[in-house]
Amino acid sequence: MSSLQIQNNQCFRLDEIIFSDKNDFLKTVAKHLAGGFRMIGLFPPDKRNPGKIIAVLANSGSSELCIAGGEFPADKLEFDSLAASFPQTNYFECELSENYGYTPLNHPWLRPVRKQNVIAGGKPYQFYKLEGDEVHEVAVGPIHAGVIEPGHFRFQCHGELVYNLEINLGYQHRGVEALFREAGPGRGIMLAESIAGDTVIGHTYAHCNVIESLSNTQISLRAQVIRSIAEELERIAMHLSGLGGVSNDIGLALAASSYGRLRTLVINSLADLSGSRFGRGLFVYGGVRFDFDRENINNIIKKLNTVRSDVKVINDFLFSSTGALVRFEKTGIVSQDSALKIGMVGLAARSCGIELDTRINYPYGAYRYFPVSQITLSTGDVFARSRLRALEIDESLRFIFEQIENLPDGGIKTAVGAAEPESGVVAITEGWRGEVVHIAVTDEQGRVAQYKIKDPSFNNWYGLSLALRKTEISDFPLCNKSFDLSYAGHDL
Amino acid sequence: MIDAVKLRILQGDPIVHDVKNANLPKLFRGLPVIAGKPCPAGCDKCAAACPVRAITADPVKIDLGRCTFCPLCEEACPEKLIHYTNNYHIASDKRESLIVTKDTQAITSASAAKKIRDYFGKSLKLRQVSAGGCNGCELELNALNNVNFDMGRFGIEFVASPRHADGIVITGPVTRNMANPLQICYEAVPNPKIIILVGACAIAGHVFEDSAQVQRKFLAENKIDLYVPGCPPHPLTFITGILRFIGR
Repeated sequence: MSSLQIQNNQCFRLDEIIFSDKNDFLKTVAKHLAGGFRMIGLFPPDKRNPGKIIAVLANSGSSELCIAGGEFPADKLEFDSLAASFPQTNYFECELSENYGYTPLNHPWLRPVRKQNVIAGGKPYQFYKLEGDEVHEVAVGPIHAGVIEPGHFRFQCHGELVYNLEINLGYQHRGVEALFREAGPGRGIMLAESIAGDTVIGHTYAHCNVIESLSNTQISLRAQVIRSIAEELERIAMHLSGLGGVSNDIGLALAASSYGRLRTLVINSLADLSGSRFGRGLFVYGGVRFDFDRENINNIIKKLNTVRSDVKVINDFLFSSTGALVRFEKTGIVSQDSALKIGMVGLAARSCGIELDTRINYPYGAYRYFPVSQITLSTGDVFARSRLRALEIDESLRFIFEQIENLPDGGIKTAVGAAEPESGVVAITEGWRGEVVHIAVTDEQGRVAQYKIKDPSFNNWYGLSLALRKTEISDFPLCNKSFDLSYAGHDL
Repeated sequence: MIDAVKLRILQGDPIVHDVKNANLPKLFRGLPVIAGKPCPAGCDKCAAACPVRAITADPVKIDLGRCTFCPLCEEACPEKLIHYTNNYHIASDKRESLIVTKDTQAITSASAAKKIRDYFGKSLKLRQVSAGGCNGCELELNALNNVNFDMGRFGIEFVASPRHADGIVITGPVTRNMANPLQICYEAVPNPKIIILVGACAIAGHVFEDSAQVQRKFLAENKIDLYVPGCPPHPLTFITGILRFIGR
């Protein structure tokens, strides 16, 4: 019953992981989960040997990270599911089953994750159905009415009330993890930038941390601060997009268009720095490609000053509007208890009073020296998820203003050496939705042999399902926008 | 009420009045220009640096349909022959017109056939289908409805159903799981209809083109009416591309 203790972005050797037999492995994992750990990965570190798997576990409260290893007989890849006792493992077990053929025995709800119908054995997946008089079923998607990624939503309704919402994704599955294994060194960054196009910085930051940790590369403090400024710009931009989205869905066009105007200023600031409104091309292995100079600092400060003063006016307008509050408050509630049980992360978890923020729990880069504040709200409804976006925008603006005029001296690029062979690393960053996890394992020659990605949406889509229970179906678009989760980030 | 007025005044005049002559951030990477100087003998550093095989060397040709507008080739060239300009007019109705050579001053694009211009010149309704898009292109297409770009003023609108649409706008490389929904959606659009490809993923697959999870048969089997390059394309690239296409 042992596990390997590691740190965020710390390279470890594969032979440091102890692979117990399957029963000890499951006991170790269960013990950790009962003790407040969250599962953040469950997969074989060597794709050619699916019988040996690792569970990556995180206790954010104590900032612990550990890896438990388990060995299964190659011809009998099955185990007693932990999902009934620990719902947070449910989806990880589905993923392990789909990708590597494991059978979680007595799994409460085995379903496809990305490769539709694989688990169902080629037959169309049967959605949970409500039986009774006057019940009806609503199916939405994959293609949705707006300009948005595809996904399938199946509602079981009685009148206006939703009794169950099942979310069936995978339409955006492009095979990203396989491409990380197969792609040459030139493609890694571009692939990371394209996992979720609205989380370019969050994912690319984690990917660069992976490559830099594996090669023991220390990047300059100036580069670390530039990376964090970009991360916070992305956070502000997407939170403004989220606030615009919820305003739009309640019909408050003036607020929606105002947030939209401010979002343009923020993404144009990213473009002032990197040429791309999403920060593509900014990150390189070993640092960043573009630097701040007097000219772009002045341009960016001018834009952010407008954002800072105007967002206050728009937020006051939105959050004091009775019409908006009536729609937001007590809509789409996820209880703290549910959120903890299902392993929700990020903004959605913080809206339920859970203190979970990688920048604080597992600080990386400049956040180790220049911390951000933990902000939580407690009602777990659309109001909390929206209000928290406004509060996080303020905090991110504070961070950027403090850093941008006090950049450390030095260069922005450090040479990157060779990666350690037969090693691994867990890199966690706080994307704007929540915890982004990239885990890589190298082979005998130091090439990436296995790459596992967990976008925060992987945890949180089920939170949206729970939020819709006993909620009116007409509130679905609003709830969906209040979570604003990634389809592509989930599907990979 | 007073707050609403205050907010409206704060909005000011954010619209881009002249979409054909707007100023973009200095570092924005639009049309690449390849200098007339000859390449060093046998050099193919730009082609080797390109992560999406968009460049052939000697003579240098950059395929904007494959290009993701990253800084790598400009950085790799030892003679600094490649430079990405601020020119965002890079959409075209012909795939071949997206190939940039040393002689390319601008991307040529013809307007659509007269019938298409007559039907859609003042009112173009489009259905957007994200077939594996990462959300970058989708965000930029959504931005077309904001107060800066407002494509509605040109009569261009995204609609909620293929039945209401004059054409489809595809983003993403077309994943296996979206191949069938895309086909069904396209068949539901009444004739005459057009197909617009937005972004490097849709035009050429981007970094996903060799993935076993991508299925691009639909694009091979259907005529494409407009290509909008970028990763993601700037909203102004889309607007100016469409306006040229419908003859405005």
